[in-house]
Amino acid sequence: MDGDCSSLLPAVCLVLADPKQTPPDDTSLEKLLDWFKDLHSQSNGQVLLEHQPCLLEFISSVCASKATDPAILSFTLKLTGLLAASKQDFHLLEEGGHLVCVFEREAWSVCDLWEDASVRSGWIQGLLNMLKHQQALDFICRQGLIKVILQLQNDRSLFVACLANQLLVQILKLLTPSDVTSGSDAVVSSKSSSSLDWVSVSSEITNAVVEALSSENHPQVLQGVQLLSLVLSQCEEPIRSSLWKDVLPPLEVLINRGSEPLTQPLMTVLRAAVMTPLLGQSEYKVEEFLEVMLGTGNRKEGILCATLIVKLEKCPKVLKRKAMDIILLPLQCVSTQSQDEKEVDLVLKEPLSQKALCISLLVQSLSSLAELAHKEYFEGVCIPSVTSRVVQLLRVCSGHCTSSLLHVSACTHLIGSCKIQRCGLDTLGALSVYEDNLDLRKDIFGVLLDYLKSPDSHATVLKKTFQAVLRWIGVCASFPDLLQFISNDLFPVLEKRMCDVRWEVRDSTLEFITQLTVALSDNSGFVEVLYTSGLVSILLSLLSDTEGYVRASAVTAVGEAVTSSVQQMALVSKINLLEEALAQMMIILSQDTEGFPRRAVVKTFTSWLKGSNPITALDSSLSSVLSLGGNDFDWEVKMHTLELAEALMEKMLTCCPYAVQSFSSSERTRLTQSLSKLKDLGLFDVLLNGLFDCDRPVCEKSCQLLLKLKRLNAEKADFDHDALVLKACGNRWGDEVQSRFLNKQQVKASEHVLIGGGEGTEKDLHCIKEIPLSVILQILDLDDMQRMLKLSSDHVVNSPRSLMEDILSAAQQSEENIVDCY
Amino acid sequence: MKLYCLSGHPTLPCNVLKFKSTTIMLDCGLDTTAALYFLPLPLVHSPRLSKLPGWVSKDGAINLEKELKECSGRVFVDSQPEFCLPEKELLDLSTIDVILISNYHCMMALPYITEHTGFTGTVYATEPTLQIGRLLMEELVAFMERVPKAHAASCWKNKEIQRLLPGPLKDAVEVWSWSKCYSLQEVNSALSKVQLVGYSQKVELFGAVQVTPLSSGYSLGSSNWIIQSHYEKVSYVSGSSLLTTHPQPMEQSSLKNSDVLILTGLTQIPTANPDGMLGEFCSNLAMTVRAGGNVLVPCYSSGVIYDLLECLYQFMDSANLGTTPFYFISPVANSSLEFSQIFAEWLCQNKQSKVYLPEPPFPHAELIQTNKLKHYPSIHGDFSSEFRQPCVVFTGHPSLRFGDVVHFMELWGKSSLNTIIFTEPDFSYLDALAPYQPLAMKCVYCPIDTRLNFHQVSKLLKDIQPLHVVCPEPYTQPPPSQPHRSDLMLELQPPPMAYRRCSVLRLPFRRRYERIHLLPELAKSLVPSEVKAGVSVATVSAVLQSKDNKHVLQPVPKVAPVAPSKKRKRVLEEPPEQLKPKTLLSGAVPLEPFLATLHKNGIMEVKVEETADGHILHLQAEDVLIQLEDDATHIICDNNEPLRTALRDLVLRFLQKL
Repeated sequence: MDGDCSSLLPAVCLVLADPKQTPPDDTSLEKLLDWFKDLHSQSNGQVLLEHQPCLLEFISSVCASKATDPAILSFTLKLTGLLAASKQDFHLLEEGGHLVCVFEREAWSVCDLWEDASVRSGWIQGLLNMLKHQQALDFICRQGLIKVILQLQNDRSLFVACLANQLLVQILKLLTPSDVTSGSDAVVSSKSSSSLDWVSVSSEITNAVVEALSSENHPQVLQGVQLLSLVLSQCEEPIRSSLWKDVLPPLEVLINRGSEPLTQPLMTVLRAAVMTPLLGQSEYKVEEFLEVMLGTGNRKEGILCATLIVKLEKCPKVLKRKAMDIILLPLQCVSTQSQDEKEVDLVLKEPLSQKALCISLLVQSLSSLAELAHKEYFEGVCIPSVTSRVVQLLRVCSGHCTSSLLHVSACTHLIGSCKIQRCGLDTLGALSVYEDNLDLRKDIFGVLLDYLKSPDSHATVLKKTFQAVLRWIGVCASFPDLLQFISNDLFPVLEKRMCDVRWEVRDSTLEFITQLTVALSDNSGFVEVLYTSGLVSILLSLLSDTEGYVRASAVTAVGEAVTSSVQQMALVSKINLLEEALAQMMIILSQDTEGFPRRAVVKTFTSWLKGSNPITALDSSLSSVLSLGGNDFDWEVKMHTLELAEALMEKMLTCCPYAVQSFSSSERTRLTQSLSKLKDLGLFDVLLNGLFDCDRPVCEKSCQLLLKLKRLNAEKADFDHDALVLKACGNRWGDEVQSRFLNKQQVKASEHVLIGGGEGTEKDLHCIKEIPLSVILQILDLDDMQRMLKLSSDHVVNSPRSLMEDILSAAQQSEENIVDCY
Repeated sequence: MKLYCLSGHPTLPCNVLKFKSTTIMLDCGLDTTAALYFLPLPLVHSPRLSKLPGWVSKDGAINLEKELKECSGRVFVDSQPEFCLPEKELLDLSTIDVILISNYHCMMALPYITEHTGFTGTVYATEPTLQIGRLLMEELVAFMERVPKAHAASCWKNKEIQRLLPGPLKDAVEVWSWSKCYSLQEVNSALSKVQLVGYSQKVELFGAVQVTPLSSGYSLGSSNWIIQSHYEKVSYVSGSSLLTTHPQPMEQSSLKNSDVLILTGLTQIPTANPDGMLGEFCSNLAMTVRAGGNVLVPCYSSGVIYDLLECLYQFMDSANLGTTPFYFISPVANSSLEFSQIFAEWLCQNKQSKVYLPEPPFPHAELIQTNKLKHYPSIHGDFSSEFRQPCVVFTGHPSLRFGDVVHFMELWGKSSLNTIIFTEPDFSYLDALAPYQPLAMKCVYCPIDTRLNFHQVSKLLKDIQPLHVVCPEPYTQPPPSQPHRSDLMLELQPPPMAYRRCSVLRLPFRRRYERIHLLPELAKSLVPSEVKAGVSVATVSAVLQSKDNKHVLQPVPKVAPVAPSKKRKRVLEEPPEQLKPKTLLSGAVPLEPFLATLHKNGIMEVKVEETADGHILHLQAEDVLIQLEDDATHIICDNNEPLRTALRDLVLRFLQKL
C-alpha cells in the first residue's frame, strides 16, 4: 500500500462506519474490495491489520452499530473474509473476537438485517473469501455455520442459494486433503482432523443433498442437483465417490421419473460425472443413467445426451451405437424412402407431426451430427448414407424432393424452413471431412447449387451454402471435374448473386469469391476460368455499389483476384485489371464516405505488398495511399496505413536482419537509398503524424515503428545519419518536433553562452525548417512515450487513491448539503 | 341452387349461379392461351416469318399450305390469333340477369357474352376495373387491328383434319369455340352495360338477393363478391392477395359465415414466392444491363408492371443502373400510368396518404419526370428516334404472338447479351418462345403472381369457416409437375366440390326459410301466448302477398264486397273470412296423471304398452285403444261417440290451447 492510500484509509473507514453518512454506491464499495483483494495477493506475508489498525476498529464499530446500513454490513462481511484469508490476519481477527462478532449473526446489534438478501450474500461471500485455509474451515464448523449455509442453499434469493452451493463445494474441497494427504502435510492434517471431524461435516452436507434430491419440492431438488454437479466437477476423491454413492438411490428415482424440467440439470450432473473416474465403474451406474436419459429418441434432450455419449472415450460400444442411432433417428425418419423402418416410425410419428417439435428434433439431430463430424466420431456408421440423407433432407426443405416420404405432414413443415436449411448446410459442410463421401460430390454440389439458385433462399441460408460449397471445393480440389463445375455452374450463379437486391447476399457472395480465390490461388486452371468468365468485370462494377460493406468486400475480392493473377503470370498481360482496380481503389480511398471500404483498400495494398510476387505497378500509388490513409479521419484506416508502412519498412529495410555487424558499403548505400525512397513515399510523415494523433492505438503503433527505426539507426552506426533530412514545416508533426528541437537547442545554446559562444540564433531558426531524421528520433523521447501509451487511458481515474478521494469528497458534500438544508 | 361452369380455367373463371330467382354470371374471363397456336403478328415486315414453308401432310393428302406454317420445327396457324371463349351452349346466356366482375383480367370475354347472346342484363364492376379493363381491351383490339390478316384459317379445325395434324395442334381442345378478337365497337357497347359499384355497396337484385363487392387486394379495384339473401350467403372469391402491394388490402371478415364459398383465382405458380421472383427479376436485369445487353419484359400494360417499376425505382440506384433508360411501349401506356395515379381511394393506405402530401402515389411519376422511364404508344414514331441501348423495354403482349414485343423478339433474339424476362404467369414461356427458336438471347422465367397461395388459402378458410367450398378441379390435387407436393392443394373437411368446364353443380344446401313481413295492423291483432319461457305463439289468419320477391302478410278483409276472383275461387272454396280458425293444441299428455284421471272417471282396467313413440293404452272393459305419442293422440273406439268425446275431453285437459 503506498503512502497516499494508507493515509487516506482511516478517514475512509470513519466515513464508511458513520451511520449518518449515506453509503457510497455499490461500485465504489466493490472497487474498494477489489483493491483489498489485490493488496492481499501482493502482501507477501505482510500482516495488513498490523499496519492498518483502523480496519479492526471499522469492523467492530460496524458490528456494534445499531444503525448500520445493509450495504455497509455486506461490505464489512466481505472485507473481513478477505482479510481473514491470510492466516496471520485470521489470528488477529479471531483473537480480537472480531470473527465471531462478524459472522455470528446473533452477535449483531441489529438482527433484522439478515432479512436483507445483500447481507446474506455478503455473509456467504465473506466466508468464501476467508476459506483459504484449514483454520477458517475449523472456525465455520466450530461455530456450527454449516447448518446456516445449508439453510441458505434453499434461500428465496437465487443468488444467495447459488453462492451457498459454491461455499459448500469449497468446504468439501478443503475437507478432502485431510484424508488423502500424507508425508509432510501429515502433521497439518492430523492437527486439523483432531480439531475437526471432517467425516461428520461431509456427511452433514451429503445428507442434505440426499434429502434435497428426495424432496417433492422442485426448487429444493434443483438446488440439490446443482450442488451435486458442482461437487462432481470440482471436488476430488474420496468426497466425490462417497457423495455419489449416497445420492445414487434418489438420483436413480429422479432420472427414471423423466421429469421434463429436471432434464437439463440432470444432464449437467451426468456431463460432470462422465468426466470423472465414476464412469466405467458399473456400481456407480453412470452408463445406466445415460442410457435412461437417451430415452426413445423423441426428445431433444435425448439427442443432447447421445452427443455426449458418442464423445466419451470410455463407454461401452453398445451404448455408443444406441446413442448414434438416436442422433440419426429424426433424420432417418424424414428422409427414409421405404417402409423399412416401421418401428422407428412409431416412436417419432407424433413428434414429427408437430411443427415446432419436428423442427427442434431435426435441428438438434443435425447440429449433433455436425459437432461430431468435425472430430470424426462416427464409428461403424455408414457415412455416405448419412450424407445422402442430409442431402435428401435439404432437397425436401427446398421443395424439390421427389421421393415418397413417410411423413407427409413432416414434409410440409420442412419446406422452406430456414432453421433446418441452415443446420443441414452446416452439417453437410462438416461432413466434408470424410473421404468416403467424395463419390457423392455430384449430388452434394447439385443440392448446394439448387440452394444458390433458388430465388427463395434466405440471405442467411445462402451464406451457409457458400460456407458448405467452400469446404467441399476444398476437399474436391484434386478432381478434374471441379473446374467444370465452377465455370459452368457456379460462376453463372455467382454473377447473378452479385447483382442480388439484398446487399447481404451481394456481400456474402463477394466474401465467398475472395475465399474461393484464396483457396484455389495455386490452381492455374481456376485463375484462367476466373478471368475468362464475366465475373471479374462484375467484381469491378461492385466497387461502386451503394452499400459500404459491399464496396469493402468488393475491394478485398478484387485484391485477391489481382494477387492470383500476378501469381499466374501468364494472364496478366491480357487484362488491364490491375490498372482499373488501382484507379477505382484510389477513388474509394480519397472519396468514399464510409470507413469500411477505405480500410479495405489500405489492407489490400498491405496484402499486395506482403505477397510473394511483387506488383511493380503499385509503386506509383503507394505514396498517395500513405498520405491519404495517414490523413484519414477514421482511426482504423490510420492503423491499417501504419501496418502498410510497417510492411513497407519490413520490405525495404530488413534485407539481412542478422548481418548488422558486417555492413558492406554497398549495403550501406542500399539502406540510404531505401530510406530516402521511404522519405519520398511520405512514410516518415505518416509515422510522425501518427505519433501525435489523438487516437491512442495510432500513437502506440507509430511509436513502435519509430522505435524500430531508431534501433536500426543505432545499429548501423557508421551510416551517414544526416543524409536524410525531413522538412518540419507544413507538417502536422512539425510544430511539436520544432518546439522540442528548439528547447534542446536553447539548452545547448545556454551552455554555449556560459562557455563563451554567443552566435547562432539565426542559424538555428534556419535549421529547424529541416531536421535530420536521426535528430528527430533522438529528441523524441520515444521509449518514455511508449511506456505512457501502454498504460490504459483510464489509469489515472482508476487508482485506489482517486477512489478513496471520491468517497471522502462525496461524504463532505453530503455534509455540506445537510448544512445547506438547515 | 346451381352453378354452371362455363370455363375450366382456374384463374380466368366464368361461372353462372342460379340463386333464388336470379341468374348471376360470376366473371367473364377470356382464355388467350389459344393464341400460342398461331404465328406471331410482326409489326414490321419480317423476312423470316414471311417466308415460312406451308404445311403439307407427309403423304401429301392434306394440303393446308395457306393455313398452317412450319416455324422452328413446329406447325402454327397462320391467321389472326384466336381465343377460347366461355362455353355458350351449357345454358341460355340471354337469361342472365347480371354479370359480376371481380377484376380487369376477368372481364376480357365480356363483349362475346353481352353482344351476341341476347344478353339484356347489367354488368357490375368497380371503376378501376372498368377503366383499366377498357384499356386492356382497347390494347388487344389495337394489337390485332394494326396487323390485319386477309382471311381466317378454319379448315384445320375440321375434326378429321385436326386428328392428322402434328402436335400440339392435334391436341388443342374446343377449337370450334375459338374466336377472333372483338372490335372496338363491340367493346364500347359491352362496356356501356357496366354499372359502377364501390366496395361494400349493397346492390339489390330484384329484391331477391343482395350483391356486395369487397376489396380483394389483388389489383386496382379488384373485388370479391358476397351474394346473399336473408337466410343464405354465397361468397365468390376470385383473384385475391394478402401481400402488401399497391391495391387496398383484402377484406376478409365479411366472408365469414358463408354457406357456400366459390374459390377461384389462386396463384398459378404456387412454388414461386413473389418476393423471391422480384429479387430474381432485379438481379437478372442488373446482370444483363451491366454486361451491355438489353432486357425485354413482356407484360400486360397494367397490374404487376406498377410494382415492377416501383421495385426498379428503388433498386436502380443501388445497382448503378441510374442511366439505363426504361421504355414502356403500349397503345395504352400513357393512360395506364396516369390512371394508376388517380384511383387514390382504391390504393393501399400507404399510397393513399401520399395523395395528401401531395405526392403521386406511385414512384413511376418521378421516373417519368426524370426521363428515366419513357412511354410510347408503339415502336413507330418518336420511339424509333429516341431509342437508346442498352435499355429495358416493357411491352405486350405476354403471349409473344402480337403487340410490339414481337418486333423486339426479332430484333434482340439473336444476341446472347440480351435477356427476356417473363413475369406474367399466364403463359408457358417455352410455348411462347417456340416460334422464335433458335434463340440466342437469355431467357429468365420469374413469374410474379401475387394471388393467394395454398398456405394462405387454408389459413383464410380456417378463419372464415364456410360450410362448403366449390373450386376448380386443379385445386384438389397436387400440381401435375410436382405430385409429391401435397401441400400445394386444398385439403378440407368436407372435401371441396370440384368443377371443370361444362360442369353443372347442384350446390349442397337447401333453402329452408323465407322472410315474410307482417303489416302493423295485423301484428296488432295477434294474441301471443307463451308456450315456454321466451317463446310465444299466436295464430295468424292473413292474406299472403308476394311481389318482387317480397312477401307480406296482410289482414284479411273484414267484409268481402268484391266478388272473389277466379284464382281465389280455384284455390279456396270459401272466402277466407268465413273460416274460423281452429284452436291449436300444444303440450304432451303425461302418462301417470292421465291414468289417474281415467281412474277417477271410472275406467279401471287399463293396460299400458310402451311403444317407440309413446304409449298405447288399452281400456279393456270398454275395448278402446288410446295411442299417446309426442305429436298425436288417437282414440280408437268403435261406434261409441259419447265415450270418445268423453275421453277426448279428458285428453284435452292436459293440453294447452291457443
